[in-house]
Amino acid sequence: MSRVVARNEWRRLFAQPLAWVLLAATLAVLAYFFLLTLQGFLGLGPKLAGMPSPPGVTDLVALPLMRAIASVLLLVAPLLGMRAIAGERQSGTLPLLQSSGTGSAGIVFGKFAALCGFFIVLIALALTMPASLAVGTQLDWGRLATGALGLILFAAALTAIAIAASSFTRQAVVAAIAALAIGLVLWMLDAGARYEGVSSSFINYLALPTHLEPFLRGIVATVDIVYFALIVAVALTLAARRLDAERERG
Amino acid sequence: MAASALLQLQGVSRRLAGRTIVEDLTLSLDRGCVLGLLGVNGAGKSTTLRMIAGVLAPSAGKVLFDGRDLGEEPALARRLGYLPETPPLYAELRVDEYLAFCARLRGMHTADARKAVDRVIERCGLGEVRRRLCGNLSKGFAQRAGIAQAIVHDPDLIVLDEPASGLDPVQAASIRKLVSELGRERAVILSTHLLHDVTACCARVAILHRGRLRHDGALADLGGNDVEGESLEKVFFRIASADDAQAAA
Repeated sequence: MSRVVARNEWRRLFAQPLAWVLLAATLAVLAYFFLLTLQGFLGLGPKLAGMPSPPGVTDLVALPLMRAIASVLLLVAPLLGMRAIAGERQSGTLPLLQSSGTGSAGIVFGKFAALCGFFIVLIALALTMPASLAVGTQLDWGRLATGALGLILFAAALTAIAIAASSFTRQAVVAAIAALAIGLVLWMLDAGARYEGVSSSFINYLALPTHLEPFLRGIVATVDIVYFALIVAVALTLAARRLDAERERG
Repeated sequence: MAASALLQLQGVSRRLAGRTIVEDLTLSLDRGCVLGLLGVNGAGKSTTLRMIAGVLAPSAGKVLFDGRDLGEEPALARRLGYLPETPPLYAELRVDEYLAFCARLRGMHTADARKAVDRVIERCGLGEVRRRLCGNLSKGFAQRAGIAQAIVHDPDLIVLDEPASGLDPVQAASIRKLVSELGRERAVILSTHLLHDVTACCARVAILHRGRLRHDGALADLGGNDVEGESLEKVFFRIASADDAQAAA
């Protein structure tokens, strides 16, 4: 029944202004960033012509844009996921789901799937911007595709974290702040280590960018996929366990 | 005979935050019967219904549905419909969308769900608001939409937590009529603190006080004022006030 929950979540998402506003605002900011980067690239034209093997438009425009998408996701995922369960609790609709025989895992997974759907749309729309450059130049489609995959996995991990945060509270804002904090910590976890010149220790391994960057550079490694899958699995399990505990503890 | 009852509560207890809310409750209910769970505020009615609906697990004892444990087979919950204290409506969905979701959530196919929604909208008198958003419904319609949600998938057991609360007398009467109709082929359990709800639509009454079952019997066994034997009102007041006197002493 988690499919039914997902479809309902999706419908409710777009029946409310939040998703539309987030989508519009995010795309507007990214479009502005894209145009700035593009202008910078065009200004570099003569210099690049003089280099033996100059970096292409994918390196100089698409890559910075994908990094910008990642930073925006860091903020947008908590905002979109904050109400996933906290909102149900607030509006008194959680008993409806709990008494439907769907099970905590089904509820949590349904919500996760719907929110991931939203981020796939967001990432696809944002990547039409660099893709539109194909009209005038050669693009590295493979890297754009791996970048999209990486961003989707990254968004999935952040969404799962937001849902987990949301399962622990009644107040959606609290969930958003907690999810944002966890996301930022995972994002900057290895900053100190890198400052000290450590770039391949365990702490670097735990940080989100360590596993996102290879995708953006066109490398799909199993280990990175597993990393994101693990975050998703842990966070969703935590959320489902929290809902089960609610049955036991009240 | 007791083994074949649709719903059985066996020595069910529930503690919440260190306080015992429901204690050693044993009850059984069969199809074709409307059971009124009567009690003052805080007697443990809602907690009992939440355990029956599977939203809350009992601390001790068992809730058996058709002889099977609801805690072990959560999918059984699809065969019951539950209206919590506040109707669980999604404010941003239309009434018909919402009911279709509720039907599919309990495992109905899309086509069946559509028919079931039409049926339940007619039955609960929601025709004029079917395309309105749930968030814009008046209290009476919201409550009716909540009941519609509990019966849309044609459950065997219907659990209603104060279905007539906050309604005007005309609306309350129409809901009581609906509940009596539902009770003909299904098992219905409803909680209330209004004696009139019980006399109007229940065949059986169970009185809860401070988490304990104090009375369980057919309504017909309790005569009216002019018949020999205690009236429901007298029994209820005796149970509800005896303990208060005890507590005060």
